[in-house]
Amino acid sequence: VTGQRPLAVVADDERDILLLVATVLKNAGFDVIGARDGAEALAEIRVRRPQLAVLDLSMPELDGLEVLRRVRADAELAEIPIVILSARAEEADVALGYAEGASKYVRKPFKPSELAALASELVHSPPEGL
Amino acid sequence: VDRLRTPWLAYLMAGLAAVGGYYALPWDTLAQTLVYDGIGMSSAAAVAAGAVLHRPRRRAVWLLMAAGLAAFSIGDVIFNTWDSTSPSAADVFYLGGYPLIAVGLGLVIRALRTNDLRPGLVDAAIVTVGFALCQWIFVMDRLTHTRSSTSAEAVALAYPAMDVLLLSALVVFFLTPAWRTVAYRLLATSLVLLLFADELYGLSPDRYATASWLDSAWLLSYVLWGVAALHPSMRALTEPAVQTRPRLGTARVHMLAAALLTAPIVLVIERLTHRPLHPIAVAIGATLLSVLVLRRLGGLVTALDRLRIEERAARSEAETTQRLLAEQNERLREADRLKDEFVALISHDLRTPLTSIIGYVELTLDQDGLNDEQRTYLEIVARNSERLLHLVNDLLFVARLEAGELELKPNELDLAAIARQSVDEAQPRAEAKGIDLSCEIEPVGVIRADRGRMFQLLDNLLSNAIKFTPEGGRVAVQVTEREPGVRLTVSDSGIGIPEGDRKRLFDRFFRAASAVDRQIPGTGLGLYIARAIVEAHGGTISLDGTPASGSTFMVELPFARAVAETKLELVT
Repeated sequence: VTGQRPLAVVADDERDILLLVATVLKNAGFDVIGARDGAEALAEIRVRRPQLAVLDLSMPELDGLEVLRRVRADAELAEIPIVILSARAEEADVALGYAEGASKYVRKPFKPSELAALASELVHSPPEGL
Repeated sequence: VDRLRTPWLAYLMAGLAAVGGYYALPWDTLAQTLVYDGIGMSSAAAVAAGAVLHRPRRRAVWLLMAAGLAAFSIGDVIFNTWDSTSPSAADVFYLGGYPLIAVGLGLVIRALRTNDLRPGLVDAAIVTVGFALCQWIFVMDRLTHTRSSTSAEAVALAYPAMDVLLLSALVVFFLTPAWRTVAYRLLATSLVLLLFADELYGLSPDRYATASWLDSAWLLSYVLWGVAALHPSMRALTEPAVQTRPRLGTARVHMLAAALLTAPIVLVIERLTHRPLHPIAVAIGATLLSVLVLRRLGGLVTALDRLRIEERAARSEAETTQRLLAEQNERLREADRLKDEFVALISHDLRTPLTSIIGYVELTLDQDGLNDEQRTYLEIVARNSERLLHLVNDLLFVARLEAGELELKPNELDLAAIARQSVDEAQPRAEAKGIDLSCEIEPVGVIRADRGRMFQLLDNLLSNAIKFTPEGGRVAVQVTEREPGVRLTVSDSGIGIPEGDRKRLFDRFFRAASAVDRQIPGTGLGLYIARAIVEAHGGTISLDGTPASGSTFMVELPFARAVAETKLELVT
């Protein structure tokens, strides 16, 4: 972990996907901390104050939405950009994600190049009014 | 047929001529008497001949009638030739004829269906009792006081009694709507004439000598009877009648009322004409009538009850059926819901492995050091993963559609711009197949539609066109204004769609034979989805072109101002 690179917390209970997302973000210039469930992800976010969090929705312990809610409820963490990355692909799921304060909702499967571009964009020019 | 049709007409003509001749001849001559007797005899012969000619189901009926008529006729001969006093040998034949005819009629009645017969018999009994009461009081009772000997008295009484017997058969006959045939009418008319003449004679036999016209009733009765038997429709009389439920029509109600009134009317007439009263006869008649009418009403009530029970049973059966149907519907809805859930679940669970496949393949392709062969293989994996993903998305979309959950976010938009962008995006795919993809776009008015769905629609149509067009072919997109909306056409020079498949082309999971034969992959969902999207926007989609020259899909979507008035419908 060098101070130069932005830090991302990635949470997914599928190890393969966790590794994929982590690789994509590392290739895009991030330092990455992985978490296998929601509780772990929330703990890491609280401790590390990352510049980005990428959360799966269906996870044991705490699901992604609950993590998102708690982060947004915490005044010190509320500004962290959060990407929801989920296989729940329906309009209603997407709408709910945004309603809970997601910076971006990405459906699985995703294109690695698009995720990389999106992550960089979120970190370097935080969107306004979210 | 002609051979059977002519005898009755010939006999009718001959009979009428003979009756005319009877009146033309001088009165009380031998010739006139012979004509009278000849008519009677010929009638018996005609009835017997009819029975032989037409072979009805119950020939005995007609043979009995023929015997009865023959007996009458023999009575006529004796009466006219030797002996016109009473009682005489003529009376034996006359009185013998009635029972034969009555039994014959009775056999006809037996051919009726039972549920129609019983109320008919009660009605006949009611009328008969009323008639018998009158007959007794106005004809028979008087005879008991005027005759010298007991035998003369018995013979004199027998005639009106026989008339009562005939009348009862006639009434049953009348109350039976089973046969409305020519033979039926002829026979009924003949019976009425016979009874009419008998009654008039019975009321004042002494006046018979001067009432020569009375003979015409008897003679016509003979003739018509013979005609009835010779008419081909006579067979229907003894066929088992197909009859509906017993009914109490207006005519029957009137008749029953008249029968019930017989007793009081008889008393009134006796009173007005200053005859001696017959209280006992009237009392017996009235009692019988009341019992019979009660019996008839009882039958009606029973029939009504039976109908009500049947109706209740039918209704409860209908309710049971309805309940079963509702349960079945509920089960079907449940099955449908489970199917939708299943599809959604599958879609979700397929995405997770696809995420890994698509993601890692792209990561690998991004790396240096792959040789061309490896790169080609991985690109094939990537392409097929995309196809799988497309299928998953289509399945999910259809599941939502079927569940009535297709949501639209309509905005005013320019279909021309969307078409241009879609064509640009499809260009690499077309080029890869060497297909000339062109577009011809006019400026068009705004439509009100869901942008994402419009792209989906165009992508579906363009993908199809490219997929089904062989290398070197062409695909053209056109956007034009066509009141009251925008028309989009996507035409190709592809394999076309067989005539027989055109109707079902937009059905879910339907695949045209031309696609299946050429092993072109697909799910049969693309056009189904396209139609759903178009129809959700109040538009239409149709297919043009001939199988030989490729296919042209034509979409028409209304202008925004038109939609604002009708409001977008949600697809169900």
